[in-house]
Amino acid sequence: MQEEQSLTHRAREGDKEAFAQLYENYFDKIYRYVVLKIGKADAEDVTQQVFIKALQAIASFKWKGIPFSAWLFRIAHNQVVDYLRKEKKMVKVPLNESSSRSDSDPQQMAERSLDIERLISATRQLTRAQREVIGLRFAGELSIAETARVMSKSEGAIKALQHSAIAALRKTMSEDQKQ
Amino acid sequence: MNRDKELANILNDCLERLLRGETIEQCLQDYPQYAGEIEPLLQTAMAAKKALAIQPGVEFKARARYQFQSMLKEAKPRRGLPVLSWQPRWAPALAIGLAFLLAGSGTVAAAGNSMPDSPLYPVKLATEQAQLGLTFSDIGKAKLYVELADKRVAEIAYMVNQGKPEEIEATVQRLNNHLSMVVSLSLVEGAAAGEPPAAEAAPRLMPAPAAGVAEAPTPQPVEAPAPQLAETPAAEPAPEEAAKELPEQAEAKAKLKELLKQNKNIHPAVLRALLDEVPDSAKPALLQAIADAEDNYQKALDALDEEDDDDEGKKHHGDDDEDDEEDD
Repeated sequence: MQEEQSLTHRAREGDKEAFAQLYENYFDKIYRYVVLKIGKADAEDVTQQVFIKALQAIASFKWKGIPFSAWLFRIAHNQVVDYLRKEKKMVKVPLNESSSRSDSDPQQMAERSLDIERLISATRQLTRAQREVIGLRFAGELSIAETARVMSKSEGAIKALQHSAIAALRKTMSEDQKQ
Repeated sequence: MNRDKELANILNDCLERLLRGETIEQCLQDYPQYAGEIEPLLQTAMAAKKALAIQPGVEFKARARYQFQSMLKEAKPRRGLPVLSWQPRWAPALAIGLAFLLAGSGTVAAAGNSMPDSPLYPVKLATEQAQLGLTFSDIGKAKLYVELADKRVAEIAYMVNQGKPEEIEATVQRLNNHLSMVVSLSLVEGAAAGEPPAAEAAPRLMPAPAAGVAEAPTPQPVEAPAPQLAETPAAEPAPEEAAKELPEQAEAKAKLKELLKQNKNIHPAVLRALLDEVPDSAKPALLQAIADAEDNYQKALDALDEEDDDDEGKKHHGDDDEDDEEDD
């Protein structure tokens, strides 16, 4: 956290290497968060947009107890909301577009793709807050404290939301499996 | 603590422990009375985590990083302006005037990041020309052209990304022009370095050399217009000073070479990665740009390397002179 605070401070001062480091630290996490929210089809554009917005706004960032991660994921959340509002697109997850880890086995790639598709579909049955918690905790890998900052809620409330979100997810996925 | 709150806390504790590498069983041993309720939730959470273990495509990541770094370069104000000592005497006043004009224009600032499909793009191109006009050394100009080439590559990637191939050909043409200028200026710089010292000092104070590329060269790099230009004297150096390469010059040259080496690898790779995504009509231009980028960066590097060889030769020659004096 101390290191990130120092990086953020340097980035604010115009240190491009510091910002580039923050970019590297968060790029994959933001991408996963965006994929979970809107699907893979347009996730690349939105992910890029998040970092462009962050670059444009970094000079106005003030630490003051709000970590950089929380600030960045708020930007990501706003970009996703903007995207969904402007485009009014349905979530689409083409099976042939993928980028899984080092999976070169087509079978593995298909299985992972199906997993993410199922997960996206299942999270759409959750409430907005539950979906946000799943995105921030599991895609963004934020801590409870950071998630609380992004969502402007108490840590206790986030734990409760996480509990209800996972329970709802389990229910939805079990029902899907039965069908 | 009510039961729901307790469950939420236990679930979170186990999740944190799983993320640190513990197993579900290990965690449940600490909460046997809740195992029946917590275990299926932990399995669901881990399944979700596994499904989300996706990575952005390698190509997309490389392209996004490249575009971001290009924007990052533009976003940062230039600092550490090198000292100007050999510029023409009228240059500081002109530079200050233009710097104020450029800095005071909101349109120019907004145009800085504009892409070829933007109405502000011509303003961006005009600003670049003004920057070139304010850069007086061959090395400085060459470096600026390399930076402009960098912008053009980012713009090509952007246009491909946006599915707007109509501007690609024109941007490729601009890229090729920049690269040709980099080669010409590197050759001029190489030729100038090979001239004898006394002959070198005089023409470098003239507005236009006879070397072919019509620029107003000075050996000092000027990276950007700024008011600091006024603080530096436009004093004419003594011939002895002109004979040897100043540390600032050597540093600027080293930076240019570093930039050329870096772009020689990156630019063709980025353009090649775009080949699959452009329509067939835009492919010939892109292929030509790849070939030109590979060729021109190498030519520029060769020219600067030759210059270094010349310098080295001069140094040895100087050593010989010293030996002669000793002999005398």
